[in-house]
Amino acid sequence: MKYFSYVKITFFSLILTSILVGCSKWLELKPRDGIVSDAFWATKEQVDAAVNGIYASLLAGNGGDNRSLVDYMFVWGEARGDMVEPGFRASADELNLVNLNILPTNGFTNWANIYETINYCNVVIDNAGQVLSRDNTFNQDHLNRSIGQALAIRGLMYFYLVRTFRDVPLKLKATNSDDDISPIAKTSGDSILNQIVTDLTTAETLVPTTYSKTSAYDKGRVTKYGVNAMLADVYLWMENYSACVTQCDKVIASGQYGLVPGGSFFTQLFLNGASSESIFELQFDQQILNPFYNMQTPSNKRWGAAQYVPETVFGVDLTNAIPQVDYRGPNASYRNADYTIWKYVGADNLGDAIRTLDQSDAPWILYRYADILLLKAEALNQLDEPLEASRLVKRIRERANALELTTMDSTDKSSMTTYILNEREREFAYEGKRWFDLLRNAKRNNYENLNILITAAELSVPQSMQQAAFNKLRDQNSHYLPIFNTELQSNSLLIQNPYYR
Amino acid sequence: MTRSLTLKYKHMKKNRFMFQIVSVLIAYLLIVTSCSKYQYNEMTSADVNITGYLDRSPDSFSLFREIIDLTGTASFLNAYGAYTCFVVTNDGVKFWMDSVGIKSLAEADINTLKNLVRFHLLNDTLTTGNFTDGKLQTPTMYGQYLITGANYVNGISSYTINRQASIIKTNVQVGNGIIHVIDHMLIPASKSLAQSIEDNPDYSIFVEALKETGFYDTLNILTGDSITMWRTVIAESNQALSDSGFYSFAELKAKYSNTGNPKNPKDSLNMYVAYHIINGLYYLGDIINYSTMLTLMPEEVISIKLSNQDIILNEGEFNGVVEKGVKLNRSKSDNSATNGVWHSDEAHTMAKLRAPMPLYWDVCTFPEILNQPGYYKKQTLIFSRATADVYPIASINWEWKTASNFVKYTYGSSSTIGVNAINADLLEFPFGSPNRSSWIEFTTPVVIKGRYKVWICYSAVNVVTVNVKVNGKLMTRPVNFGEFRPAGTPAELESIGWKAYTRDSLAWRANARLIGIVDIPTTGSQVVRFESVSGTNASSYLDMIQFIPIDDEQLLPRFNVDGSQYRY
Repeated sequence: MKYFSYVKITFFSLILTSILVGCSKWLELKPRDGIVSDAFWATKEQVDAAVNGIYASLLAGNGGDNRSLVDYMFVWGEARGDMVEPGFRASADELNLVNLNILPTNGFTNWANIYETINYCNVVIDNAGQVLSRDNTFNQDHLNRSIGQALAIRGLMYFYLVRTFRDVPLKLKATNSDDDISPIAKTSGDSILNQIVTDLTTAETLVPTTYSKTSAYDKGRVTKYGVNAMLADVYLWMENYSACVTQCDKVIASGQYGLVPGGSFFTQLFLNGASSESIFELQFDQQILNPFYNMQTPSNKRWGAAQYVPETVFGVDLTNAIPQVDYRGPNASYRNADYTIWKYVGADNLGDAIRTLDQSDAPWILYRYADILLLKAEALNQLDEPLEASRLVKRIRERANALELTTMDSTDKSSMTTYILNEREREFAYEGKRWFDLLRNAKRNNYENLNILITAAELSVPQSMQQAAFNKLRDQNSHYLPIFNTELQSNSLLIQNPYYR
Repeated sequence: MTRSLTLKYKHMKKNRFMFQIVSVLIAYLLIVTSCSKYQYNEMTSADVNITGYLDRSPDSFSLFREIIDLTGTASFLNAYGAYTCFVVTNDGVKFWMDSVGIKSLAEADINTLKNLVRFHLLNDTLTTGNFTDGKLQTPTMYGQYLITGANYVNGISSYTINRQASIIKTNVQVGNGIIHVIDHMLIPASKSLAQSIEDNPDYSIFVEALKETGFYDTLNILTGDSITMWRTVIAESNQALSDSGFYSFAELKAKYSNTGNPKNPKDSLNMYVAYHIINGLYYLGDIINYSTMLTLMPEEVISIKLSNQDIILNEGEFNGVVEKGVKLNRSKSDNSATNGVWHSDEAHTMAKLRAPMPLYWDVCTFPEILNQPGYYKKQTLIFSRATADVYPIASINWEWKTASNFVKYTYGSSSTIGVNAINADLLEFPFGSPNRSSWIEFTTPVVIKGRYKVWICYSAVNVVTVNVKVNGKLMTRPVNFGEFRPAGTPAELESIGWKAYTRDSLAWRANARLIGIVDIPTTGSQVVRFESVSGTNASSYLDMIQFIPIDDEQLLPRFNVDGSQYRY
């Protein structure tokens, strides 16, 4: 009997102990190290945090490869163009982009980072509204500008996708949990562009012209004029020229922006950042550095300037005793001594000092005033107003002290087209715009000028692969990157771009 | 064991409660751990192999599958390995069957089929990323190389293989390699170079020259005869020859055959043919990677240049005169044969007999500085080399060290160092073991074959002694970059290997040192290498390297600071 009670007592006390020391909330399923969405969308601060998260995702490295979005923006915009040369640290994937030998296994065809940012935008768009009823200090105005910024950045991201991949899946609802994941088919590039226009025109009415803080703050956020700049770029891509001009005029009429003096082109735009010319830029600082230190400095060179850039793009003055120098050329876009791309790693405009790693915070300028003027010039020229276009180009050239390499024929539309393309090459060297400029001009009027791409390939593709590259470029599908392998495997509805079959 | 169980059982009998608990626990444990048959994966991979891939879609590949069955390669292609296989669709195989006139594959000669399968297989995994304008890096199992390219038809670009087939589906990964699906059979070349050129009546004069000189037999080797000797031939069409005034073989022979026996290697007709044959297999995509190629004509090279998209042979500048080259005809080139490839040029070309000519080479005339007119003859520019992997100047290489991580284009005639320098520029480089580089190498412009005296012209500042090697051959006299020439008349000085090379013959820093006599066997670029002997300094100043034929005047011309020659 004694034995029985001993066993019984031990048994019950064990059960009792396990109940007493067990989890107090043992049916509670909420994670203990985070906030769930029901608890999150409660205050206006949380909405602001979510919007900040969108911007943070533009700066930082996301996804498995931890490659930052700006890295992709640079490589997508420059690698297939004719202004860069892969350096000694370029990866095989990068060399294959230059050679136009692109496979669906190429890491640079991975769009995961862009969609991650798109999802952050979708989360804000879907959820910010409910805070109105929960937080009395959150007003409609605040809600508008939060959703406006999310819409604008979503539009910008889709614009990158549509220019790089053409047909991509269109996801406009947030993915909050695994239940929301289902295969999505591709949407045609044209429908994507229409969606971008819808997003951006809505955003235009929602975001303010200024956030009434510092002027630098406005450069790093999407303002109304930032949206106008994006719209102008999108309309030009869609060959809707009058709409492009209208959007450019809105920015010009605002009087908020101007061209910085030529002499301080490099210092104000890239060294100091947040210049009066900048409309929307990604601002890095010591907490989040830009990726260029490990990409462009001489000892880490993945990408450098092509060797013919000094002479054929910017030109060299041989006649004057004191040579005329394009302010945008030597020691601004590139450094003479070793063809280092200077805009993001240079620490002075003499070509002497290079930024150290912790100073690597040059901004990535998405849109600036010069862009607006040249977008407008390109659109005007297509509207058969080459003379009007030439005036805008002249403003850019005078600011830059540009050399007269070829004469500008302001009476002829097609020669102005080439001239504007060349001027954009000089003005936006290494700002991730070159390939898109080439492609936009090549594909205009149903690929009227395919030759533009072939001429560029002649400069950039190695001799032993040129003939194949030319024939590849004749296929329009080859101008867009393939869908990355893992995306194809995980999304059963995706169909590969037929060129990469 | 039994005892303890019996004891326990006794207890349980007494204590039914305890028994219940234990049985419930045991039942519970049994439920939890009860065996459900688990399907273990016994394979490392579910990927199919090449044969398996063919089996999966018989609609497309049944005929190709039949070929590998007939030839007994099916099991081989189903085993592990790393192959690249060009798989032909049924339409492609049918097209081939029609062309050779057979109704079923069983009728075909088994050896032909075996060769065909070998021609479609490579012992390597090659994706389209490895494709160039030339041949694939690995030969087929048949022994011949495949050439790749791209083609644009009806709005679609696709890769082409051997100009015979287009790729329909690229880079299919299977367990034992990579499959490319192609639309036509690849047929290996069956004729030798000689036969293949002979088949083309447009080249009859050239073929006759081949026969007369005996090179026809050299080029008439079929694969399988001992070791295949790959050769590349640049054939001249009758059109190209008649443009140069040779309307028949007789005329060609009359012009060149100086000994009357074209089989004699000293005969110029023999040399003409030899000059058009290169040892090795070079498709156009390969040729353009070289600046010169050695021909069968002893010590004579063909120079190669890519201008826009044209491949130009033998275009060059000799003594300031540009000589027009001849163009290769892309559409008539890259013709595969069993023992090589032949191309066609658009005009007649022949090696030129050139007398040795002096080269007065200002070492600061490399393209990397000439391309920067903002600096060239204007200001100093440092060519930095952050790591050993960087080569800022293609024609100058040196042992990379932390203290030798740059060379400097030094401009300026304001100091005594540069006051007499030709073009007012000097190449300044840190040199000397142990902390600075122990060697530096310069690739010169073209030097015509012959016997030369070599002069090193420098600005004497810091003591660093170097040995000089030309094409790896050690020259007789070292150079000290800090040594001034002794007093004496120019003739006296020449006899002991000194001269003033600048117009100001009294210039004390600017000195030229004769390092010895060298035989240049082949017209082309030469390599001059300095090797550290003693002394080390951050600044050695080199101005010129001169190659002057031994019979020529060595002291004149001297040079002005603006680069012009002074002959008095």
